[in-house]
Amino acid sequence: MTRLLGSAHIKTLAREESVRGVLVRMVIEQAEDADSDEMVLLEKALQLLLTRFQALEGNAS
Amino acid sequence: MILRSVELESFGKFRGQTVEFRRGVNLVIGPNEAGKSTLAEAVPAVLFGTDRLERFKPWGRNSCSAALIFEGQGRRVQVKRNLITDEVELLEKDDLYHTLSQFSGKVPLRGRSASCREYLALLDSLLGVADESLFKATYFFGHHPQEWSGEELSQKLRTLVSGSAETDYAEILDDLLDEHFQLTRSNPWGRDKQRDREYEELCQQLAQQDGTEEAVPIFVELDASADIEAQIEKLVGEFENDRQEHEKGLRYIEQVRQQKVESSESTVSTEAKVLPEDKKISTSDVARPDDVARPDDAPPPDDVSLSEQLLAAGLPKNPPRELPELLSGAANIRQELAAMQQPFSFLNNREKKIPKVPWGALIGISVALAAGAAIAWLQNFYFLQLLLGAGVCSALLLGWGGWLHVSRNKALAECRKERSRLDQKKLEVQKRQAELSERCEALGLPSSAIDLVRLQKMVDVHRDLLARWWKQDNAPEEDIESPHVESVGSHNTAGDYDNTASDHDAITSDHDAIDSDEEDSADEKRSINVEETDQELLELESLLAEFEAGLKEKESRLQELRLQLNDLSTARRSKGGNPGTVQHQRKYELEERIAVLRKAVNLLAGAVDEFGRSHLVQLNNETSKLFRKITNGRYPAIKLDENMAPSIQVDERRWMPVEQLSRGTVDALYLTLRIALAKVRDDGRTLPLMLDDPFVHLDQKRLAATLNLLDLASADGQLILFSHNLDLGKRAARERWHVVPLDGDAVNTTSDEGGDHAGQLHLL
Repeated sequence: MTRLLGSAHIKTLAREESVRGVLVRMVIEQAEDADSDEMVLLEKALQLLLTRFQALEGNAS
Repeated sequence: MILRSVELESFGKFRGQTVEFRRGVNLVIGPNEAGKSTLAEAVPAVLFGTDRLERFKPWGRNSCSAALIFEGQGRRVQVKRNLITDEVELLEKDDLYHTLSQFSGKVPLRGRSASCREYLALLDSLLGVADESLFKATYFFGHHPQEWSGEELSQKLRTLVSGSAETDYAEILDDLLDEHFQLTRSNPWGRDKQRDREYEELCQQLAQQDGTEEAVPIFVELDASADIEAQIEKLVGEFENDRQEHEKGLRYIEQVRQQKVESSESTVSTEAKVLPEDKKISTSDVARPDDVARPDDAPPPDDVSLSEQLLAAGLPKNPPRELPELLSGAANIRQELAAMQQPFSFLNNREKKIPKVPWGALIGISVALAAGAAIAWLQNFYFLQLLLGAGVCSALLLGWGGWLHVSRNKALAECRKERSRLDQKKLEVQKRQAELSERCEALGLPSSAIDLVRLQKMVDVHRDLLARWWKQDNAPEEDIESPHVESVGSHNTAGDYDNTASDHDAITSDHDAIDSDEEDSADEKRSINVEETDQELLELESLLAEFEAGLKEKESRLQELRLQLNDLSTARRSKGGNPGTVQHQRKYELEERIAVLRKAVNLLAGAVDEFGRSHLVQLNNETSKLFRKITNGRYPAIKLDENMAPSIQVDERRWMPVEQLSRGTVDALYLTLRIALAKVRDDGRTLPLMLDDPFVHLDQKRLAATLNLLDLASADGQLILFSHNLDLGKRAARERWHVVPLDGDAVNTTSDEGGDHAGQLHLL
């Protein structure tokens, strides 16, 4: 799980000037002060959100 | 960067053809089915891959490949892709055809391999975009629905700012909330739902089974533990600071005590030394007042300068004249702050003592009475009497509860009022303290309370030295009495010392008189110093005792919080950590899922808010500017709310939602929003804007204004328009746009011999 936040994909997304980019930046920022439990929760939430973004795109196309 | 050319080796209906573009506006014109959209979609397909290969693969052939060439900033980037195998070659060269970077590998759409990451990172660094959806959302203007409603437009805009071509963040938010409320009725963002959901039902089942489980959502406790952790963190910081201050204070008091002992010893030795000489002391032996006051370690005045003496005495090198006034102010502030601790502590105790209303017990008793009455009705046993009795009892109990509630609220309100008054007073004192600290800092003096107390002590001991310093400065002498000295009484003789000191050299002829005067004043001063030190010690000790009490209170609160946190985590482990049955396991899974859903909702809502704060104002301004131009000033501004619903300003005070506007106006608005969005997102690596027939509903006048606007927007970059409108062709000829004509059968490209002007000549 801890690999998600350090991945190149996340770093790329964090540069976006979009709601998704802001979201990823917020998660990275919160992860800096998070303990291990909070970190797991953050990563799961981020994974869920990115999957939803991706899933809706898939449905639409 | 601009898109210099698209090489279509085998793509859709194109075979072995090259379409060239140039900076500024490019018009790709042709009838329906001429391949305009295919050409437009070749760009993202080559850059990122596609999942609609069948659309682009030429019929009857087993190859499908194309290449894009971008140019700009002295570099040329070529991206070539075989769409069947997803093999990609990327080559970056400089003006002298030196290779700067290159990549070759398999990169399918949404691939996650190492080579995909490498390629996307390279693409991101070269073109500023590494995501197909973002590229489409930013630079692509495709066909859109024929009928726009306000909500559709808002939805489209939300999609665009979401960061992908097809995803509306509001839809995701709704989905997450739906899923959340399918699992639990508990609502952390508002009122709970009425009907129990899976989680509550499961909790009830477990409670019935073993009677230990409570239908209390575990995440409530999680939130509480987060709060407690935050409180502990804050308190630990405060406690550590206070502890350090306390230690400093203890050290300082110890130092003052030592000085007092040394001072009393030196007094005894001086008296012993003076008395046997029977008052026959020569002028050179007469102790000047400053010598009397000088500590043992201070150097004699003859050997060192006054400022060095000041330094040696622990005073500032250049003490300002405001020093006594500042120290007096600081002492007052300290006293006021210390005096305020007691009312606060009293108020806390008072608040704790206000009784809570036992609503649970009262309602429980009322329900029990009602149940008793119901049973009596069923059994037909004195029903009316029992009902009346139960009603009266319930009413009395509830009335008593209400009275308690009102009294409690009243008492709490009084406490709040008192607290706010005290807070206000404390704030004022703290403000004065901050001002004083600023003044101290501006004068190069220490500003902490402990340092100021220390300085006060030094000033008291060395005030003669200070008087000499200020006198030497040729300024009017000031009273340097400390507040402690004032409190001792008006018999202080600092002024006398100064007079004695200043006249000392002039009165050598009258030795005896002066000797006598100076000895008297020195003795008097010693006794005053001892008194001052005693008083100061007492004051400091009382201050320190109060401080210590506060410290102990904080320590006990910290311990209490740690215990609470420990209890919570123990409870959490005992509930969640022991799966036990399948139901326990399911409950644990539900709790975890609910926690993740809540976090996701909070994150997404936070991101939307943050995006609104950071980008919406800029987007509104940019769009308003462009829309004003397109509508020739008819609509001066537009405004997007937090749901991306646009309103248009129709006059100075009136804003109109887009539903009430014509389709042409809404189309124009959409277009301006897209251009504004691309500008807001632009980070200097501008890619071409690609517009696929976006002007269907614009009238001639608005079309002209829009085209002017696009012309302006493309001044620093590149715009590629795809259209079947022949009128645009005429305008292209007038405006000297670059034209790429397509017909239904073959492609008339500019090829490589036409250069930048070939397209115009072809159309003409």
